[in-house]
Amino acid sequence: MTISDAGQYATAAGLVERTAAAYVSGVPELPADDGLFGPASVTWKISGDLTGPVAGLRSLIMQALHPLAMAGVDQHSGWREDPVGRLAATSAYVTTVSFGERATAERAAARVRRVHTRVTGVDGVTGRRYEASDPALLLWVHAALVESTVTVRRLLGTPLTAQDADRYVAEMVVAAELVGVPAGMVPASMAELDAYIESVRPELRCTPAAGESMAYLLDPPGLDEEIADIWQDVRYGAIASLPDWAREMYGYTAEPLTPARREEIRQVLGVLDAVFLGEPGVLEARQRITALMRAAARPA
Amino acid sequence: MKRLLAATAAAAAGAACVAAVVVLRRAGRTRQAGRPGLRETGLRENRRLHRNLRLRRGLATIQLAARGGARYASSAPRLFAAAGEHRQQLRNDLALQTAEDVASTLGTMKGVLMKLGQMASYIDNGLSPSVRRTLSRLQDSVPPMSPELAAQVVESELGGPPEQVFASWDPEPIAAASIGQVHRAITRDGRAVAVKVQYPGIAETIAADLGNVALLRRMLKVTAPSQDVDALLGELRERVLEELDYRREADNQRLFADYYDGHPTIVIPAVVDELSTRRVVTSELADGARFADLASWSQSERDLAAETIYRFVFRSLYELHAFNGDPHPGNYLFHGGGRVTFLDFGLVRRFTEVELEPLMQMARYLCVEHDPEAFRRNLEKAGFLRAGAPLSTEQIVEHMALFYDTVRESRPLTMTGDYSSAVVRRFFDVRSPVTTYAQIPRSYVILQRINLGLFGLLGELTATANWRAIAEEIWPFVLGPPTTPIGEAEVAWRTRHPVTLAGPAAAGARAAG
Repeated sequence: MTISDAGQYATAAGLVERTAAAYVSGVPELPADDGLFGPASVTWKISGDLTGPVAGLRSLIMQALHPLAMAGVDQHSGWREDPVGRLAATSAYVTTVSFGERATAERAAARVRRVHTRVTGVDGVTGRRYEASDPALLLWVHAALVESTVTVRRLLGTPLTAQDADRYVAEMVVAAELVGVPAGMVPASMAELDAYIESVRPELRCTPAAGESMAYLLDPPGLDEEIADIWQDVRYGAIASLPDWAREMYGYTAEPLTPARREEIRQVLGVLDAVFLGEPGVLEARQRITALMRAAARPA
Repeated sequence: MKRLLAATAAAAAGAACVAAVVVLRRAGRTRQAGRPGLRETGLRENRRLHRNLRLRRGLATIQLAARGGARYASSAPRLFAAAGEHRQQLRNDLALQTAEDVASTLGTMKGVLMKLGQMASYIDNGLSPSVRRTLSRLQDSVPPMSPELAAQVVESELGGPPEQVFASWDPEPIAAASIGQVHRAITRDGRAVAVKVQYPGIAETIAADLGNVALLRRMLKVTAPSQDVDALLGELRERVLEELDYRREADNQRLFADYYDGHPTIVIPAVVDELSTRRVVTSELADGARFADLASWSQSERDLAAETIYRFVFRSLYELHAFNGDPHPGNYLFHGGGRVTFLDFGLVRRFTEVELEPLMQMARYLCVEHDPEAFRRNLEKAGFLRAGAPLSTEQIVEHMALFYDTVRESRPLTMTGDYSSAVVRRFFDVRSPVTTYAQIPRSYVILQRINLGLFGLLGELTATANWRAIAEEIWPFVLGPPTTPIGEAEVAWRTRHPVTLAGPAAAGARAAG
């Protein structure tokens, strides 16, 4: 990406504020039900981890490697004009599906499905037609998110047992179904997930659109100074946790993740998490989640 | 975040005698005419109150406070539209159950940020609203330990479960401490005590995070001038590390308790040695009104409380060579008649004679001898001002005078919020032409904190006194006669503490004079 390319993108100012507001909007105050997963789920347990921003960035990097998925985003979402708004919307959706009431999650998913029906076109690189409602594309986006969450958590977060990782992948099948992927297609264990990703690899490549948009995300202009500093480590974590083949496609390099470097990144993520906690409503939202999880764990 | 920490650091940075000097580097352009926020008032009639004061001496009974952990309880109503039982349940649910919960709540820099934030949390004007919000949210984000987890810590530290070690143990904490919580208990020999229990694993976590000097430096660097960052960081790290070992706190509290034993208005709860360890510190339980309650007290009562705090701070500095670095409103209990109980000795800085002497000389030459050149020499000697700086002594004195305004002339003055704000504003004014020639020597970093905090507290109390007259009683280079009823009441105590008159500080002052 050249400097001039950056010109067509809006700045990333307000990233923390807007993603925090999106998060708060997704956690109901007085839920009528436990939502799709519930307080005893691994999904709830896993989503409070401070590695969230790294996992989120890594998912986007992975997702962008599918030329058709990338083309859909590139040609339709208008994210260049409001990249932070687009990230916040995605973040709000993921939070709503994870913690929202069933009806709210289903409404949000219905909205996404509706939007997807209008997203069709031809990828200029491969010349292939795409439809955003194509289950194959939706599955890739889903799998990249789930796999990134587990991988980043294992690399940088608090330990996750193999059993919990499997449970998480199985729980997330519902999320894929919501956007329109038949349950039978969706990996339901880590082994299935890895096999699925391996099977898609031949289709993956770094298109110019992918390279360019990821270059923006890795070094977003206009971040508040303090956040920009932190973002360097978020970026490092995301790149270091990519599979070698994905890093090679983009031409990224990463120094090895030593235990000392890992601890440093965790500390930086802790600072970022503290800033996030300082945003209105975030602490309350987290406490609501914790309280429900503890209540669920309490013997009846 | 860098901005946040820079502000925190600046707030914690570098005192009145000392504040004055530091302000040199931050001081504003023109000094406001007059004394911002200081009101001249007539003397108050406090005779009757002072008689009460003597009567109450020794009558303060130690009771089990019925007060709940205000911070825990107060955050609950915001979560759900539920009250009563549900709220209690919620509080239980949020409690930290395991060492892992502690690590995820306070690990990865959050505990360190909280400690640094705490150091600045009582200063309004130096921090932007968003920074204050982040820091206070961080403090709110730490729930109490579950009764079981607290009991585990007590057992591993004191060798038995709390119900066995104590005759009576209240599993509900009564207050939050920054890295622990306070429980009420009754010892087997029948004393009512407050037991501060540290979160398990927190000391190791914070020590590890303090080891990331690069990150801390990065966070502190933005507004603190580069020459100060390492000194500041070094001092902050050392103080925070000290706070992690409660034995040190117990030692400090013992030092103060011994010294003020028998004092008419200053009360320091005694430490119960056999029930105090690295992670648990047990001291006599004190009860009294909270700082916020003083709002409804009469002004004369508030004046007395303020006088006691003032005497405590400066006697401790000049006579004990120790400064309690945490003038947080939560660290005081008020009993009326000027009696104040001082709590929490986690952040105490002890000074050597060499460190203290220039501070004393600065006050002496500016306020008593009226010798600006000697004042300046002592600034330089302490390391606040580079020798040979191309600044006129007049210019320096001009900038510093604000910090000495309460003690420059002998007359009753009222501390106000405006005055404390003016002090803080000047402190944070970075546009000073003398910035280049000024610095904060590491030993004085903590003094700054107390001074800004002290002005803030006294300003909130809108306290009136002849601060100069009280200072003269305490200044080792004056050692004036008692000027207030509390001063008179102190005479008997002072004769039992000859260190006051023959202490090293006084000797140093005489030698230097």
